[in-house]
Amino acid sequence: MMSAVLKLHEETHTMPGTDVGRIDIENASVVFNAPGGRKIEALAPTSLVIEPGSFISLIGPSGCGKSTLLNAVGGFVPITSGTIRLDGEPVTGINPDVGVVFQQYALFPWFTALGNVLFALKRFPISKEERRDRAYQALKEVGLEGRENTFPGQLSGGMRQRVALARTFVTSPKVLLMDEPFGALDAQTRVVMHEILLRIWEARKSTVIFVTHDVDEALILSDKAHIMSAGPGRIIETMDITDARPRLAHQMTENFLVNRNHIIGLLRQPGMGDH
Amino acid sequence: METQLKKYGQLVISLSGVVAVWWLVSATGLVNPNLFPAPPQVLTAAVELYQDGVLVSDLKISLTRAAVGFTIGASLGVLVGLLTARVFAFKVALEPFLTLLRPIPAIALVPIAIVWFGIGEGSKYFVIAYTVFLAVWLNTHAGASGVAGTYIRAARSLGASRFREFFEVVVPAAAPHIVVGLRLGAALAFLSLVAAELSGASSGIGFRLQDARQFIQTDRMFVGLIQLGILGALLDAVFVIIGRRLVHWESA
Ligand SMILES: Nc1ncnc2c1ncn2[C@@H]1O[C@H](COP(=O)(O)OP(=O)(O)O)[C@@H](O)[C@H]1O
Ligand SMILES: [Mg+2]
Repeated sequence: MMSAVLKLHEETHTMPGTDVGRIDIENASVVFNAPGGRKIEALAPTSLVIEPGSFISLIGPSGCGKSTLLNAVGGFVPITSGTIRLDGEPVTGINPDVGVVFQQYALFPWFTALGNVLFALKRFPISKEERRDRAYQALKEVGLEGRENTFPGQLSGGMRQRVALARTFVTSPKVLLMDEPFGALDAQTRVVMHEILLRIWEARKSTVIFVTHDVDEALILSDKAHIMSAGPGRIIETMDITDARPRLAHQMTENFLVNRNHIIGLLRQPGMGDH
Repeated sequence: METQLKKYGQLVISLSGVVAVWWLVSATGLVNPNLFPAPPQVLTAAVELYQDGVLVSDLKISLTRAAVGFTIGASLGVLVGLLTARVFAFKVALEPFLTLLRPIPAIALVPIAIVWFGIGEGSKYFVIAYTVFLAVWLNTHAGASGVAGTYIRAARSLGASRFREFFEVVVPAAAPHIVVGLRLGAALAFLSLVAAELSGASSGIGFRLQDARQFIQTDRMFVGLIQLGILGALLDAVFVIIGRRLVHWESA
């Protein structure tokens, strides 16, 4: 119902459906040039196919290249070798069809919550009223009704991240990149954010790539978890998570516990947990 | 509110203390009243200047000079600062040059300004505008150069054009630095105003100071100095209030 209201004009934008938002990563690697002519391999050659509309997590020790891989998909960081394609098109730079929720909220503190969401809608040729309606709807969807005219500085961390979510999904991007978006939040707020995120994802079916170092978070949210080795990272195992949602952290299934122990075991291997 | 009252209270106490000590020292007769006038002498001089009409006319003229010079210098400073920070061609062409200009004090420019613009208003505007420009340019340039990368990434990934990125992200992100630059510029406008008026002027607070020197009227000099102090403090307070409104998100 809400997604129909929020749906943007067909001619300017297509809703992610079953066939939109496919990501093909083939042997992509990233090498940074450090000062003094040194080279830092941040991501070892990595291959990965992410199905349209799926929710996947990347887990691994810090410094293994999770953010680098995410930034490469978002076009923020150029890859050194290999290819990354979004719906068949090589990623060459920043693309507004790929939404990003940044680790630090990156909200604009000089705009209100509403102003931040409107910022994302300004590139669409729609009327001012329609833009406002959509922004209000998006904020309502993340539970911020009545907070539209509040500045980010006056909101709690959880609320700020909700504004950031609303700002990103209001344009229904094909892909949603999230880099440890809830890492700074307390456990209870995080549970609420998980519910909101899953609701939005189920309504829009964007492809989500979610970076976390919290195994439970990956198991609660995603269809697939990709476990990365210590840096320079590569994917060492992919786990399908088939439990029906909602998956509640306080009612863990046996499957959940088995998966959890398995991943923690992988992360405990020599050279993995020493960061 | 309570802290505001406390601040004003402290100001009143501090000022009355200074005046009291000043008065006492003068009353002891240890200092020559011709060199160091007592408060009543200074007050009398102020009343005289007021009755002559020069107190108000000097004030008007000096404020106008400061305002015109400040407006020219500040507008150019903001504009050029944004350009040198965000447009590579401007950065290459101007940044090294402006950095070299910075150590030249305003007072050193007065002679050349008089040669170029005569002893009329033009030379005053030039000296003030120059000083304000450099201070505002430096702060604007630093602020607009240092805009957090995440803001720029966020703007681009939200599909903002370069035009919107500049006006809706770079400018507000640099605003706190710009405000600091403007406040500093206002203080410097006053400094260079006096420098410009001390030589080659026939009106204004700076001229009156110089004029009083010729007749060793120290009481009149004190009037001028006190005027400058009060004006400078008021101006600074105004800029602080405006700045707080303008970049309200900074204090939050
Ligand atoms: N811009 C950069 N320049 C140089 N090295 C970098 C840069 N970004 C990341 N790195 C290095 O690449 C490695 C992977 O970093 P990152 O992707 O941020 O890891 P993660 O997100 O998994 O913690 C780290 O060793 C990090 O220091
Ligand atoms: Mg990271």
